[in-house]
Amino acid sequence: MIDFHTHPILVKELVGSDEALLKAVRDVFKMGSSLQPLETFLLQMDVAGIEKAVLLPIDCSTTRGCRILSNEDIVKLCKENDRFIGFASVDPHKKNAPQELDYAIKELGLKGLKLDPGLQEFYPNDKKLAYPLYEIASQLKIPVIIHTGLSWESNTMIKYSMPLLVEDVAYDFPKLNIVIAHFGWPWVLDSVALALKYPNVFIDTAAHYLDAPKEFMEFVMTKQISITAVERSLRTKILFGSNYPRIEIRKMVDAVKGTGLTEGCLNLILKENAQRLLNI
Amino acid sequence: MKVKLEKVSIQTKKPIEAINITPQIEKIVEESSVRNGLVNILCLHTSAGIAVTEGLSCLEEDIFFILDKLVPKEGNYHHNRYLDSYGRLGINAHAHLKSILTGMSAFFPIQDGKMVISSRQTIYFLEFDGPLYRTFCVQVLGE
Repeated sequence: MIDFHTHPILVKELVGSDEALLKAVRDVFKMGSSLQPLETFLLQMDVAGIEKAVLLPIDCSTTRGCRILSNEDIVKLCKENDRFIGFASVDPHKKNAPQELDYAIKELGLKGLKLDPGLQEFYPNDKKLAYPLYEIASQLKIPVIIHTGLSWESNTMIKYSMPLLVEDVAYDFPKLNIVIAHFGWPWVLDSVALALKYPNVFIDTAAHYLDAPKEFMEFVMTKQISITAVERSLRTKILFGSNYPRIEIRKMVDAVKGTGLTEGCLNLILKENAQRLLNI
Repeated sequence: MKVKLEKVSIQTKKPIEAINITPQIEKIVEESSVRNGLVNILCLHTSAGIAVTEGLSCLEEDIFFILDKLVPKEGNYHHNRYLDSYGRLGINAHAHLKSILTGMSAFFPIQDGKMVISSRQTIYFLEFDGPLYRTFCVQVLGE
């Protein structure tokens, strides 16, 4: 199984010795849980049955004055363990952001781009700020994961993260694989519409905003969408993501498995769709 | 009177786990140079516990089996809500409640430099929401 959505923001070896980074994790990313050794992250993957995890940083230098892990931090973790797949983040407000992305992929060996329009304060369809990044990502054939829908940071605005803003991108960059993160919750049907319509749009499951994980996943998969729709129409378009450490990975795996999807569909969601996107 | 406090950290490896910490406590007592007094053991978490029982794997299984019956993992818990100080939902009410049921501490007398513990007694650190890096403290008091 592959977890397409994790943030290694509580890894003690990285964050523990960096006061500014810890402050960013606490004050900007709004994560208050205790730091844990890298070993805990790997054990969390083990008990969930996850073989590989995508690590996501966020560069919000212009808007927040910090990076919630740098590309170099992500590379460091990937070098520690080959179960990690590192994505890059660049600040769309920086003039040299496209060059930074190019460097992160070609030189640092990162495998995709993470954007967080809420923290980075840009609209995903902003032609001036975001399109140059999509150009590069499209040329380099890397997937782009975009935070959409609600976020936990009370210091960000939802208006930047509406899933339908991704439509322009999907339309203008048909060869760019785009992952709408967090189901775009609560705009799940908007996200589904894009995933149905555009072959290059995918959705990740990294959403847990109410109730227990199983209850929430059941609500999304059986009330907001429907299990039959997932089975018939979305089986190749949904990727498993946990959003660890906002939730333990195993609890999200259990929640997805608990929806009653068939084994074939679960295999696609929990592994094969991500393998295809990551080319592994 | 001597007072010695030591924090011991352990990496739990499973969602639920019973870890025998008796040898670590005995060692701390022996190294404290306290001849007569007592030792307190306190878990520094609210989703893990400390318990004393016979050191048998069947009993370890029974602890978790019965606790799960009393406090199932999935239940109608008020704790399943957004906790802004954590940046996530509180979805481990069962672990907190199990911790309350088992308790989070134990104490033993010390006599002639050794902990007074029977051959049947084992001190367990009980993980209810792992794997996590956990800490308990051991305080030795005496002369």
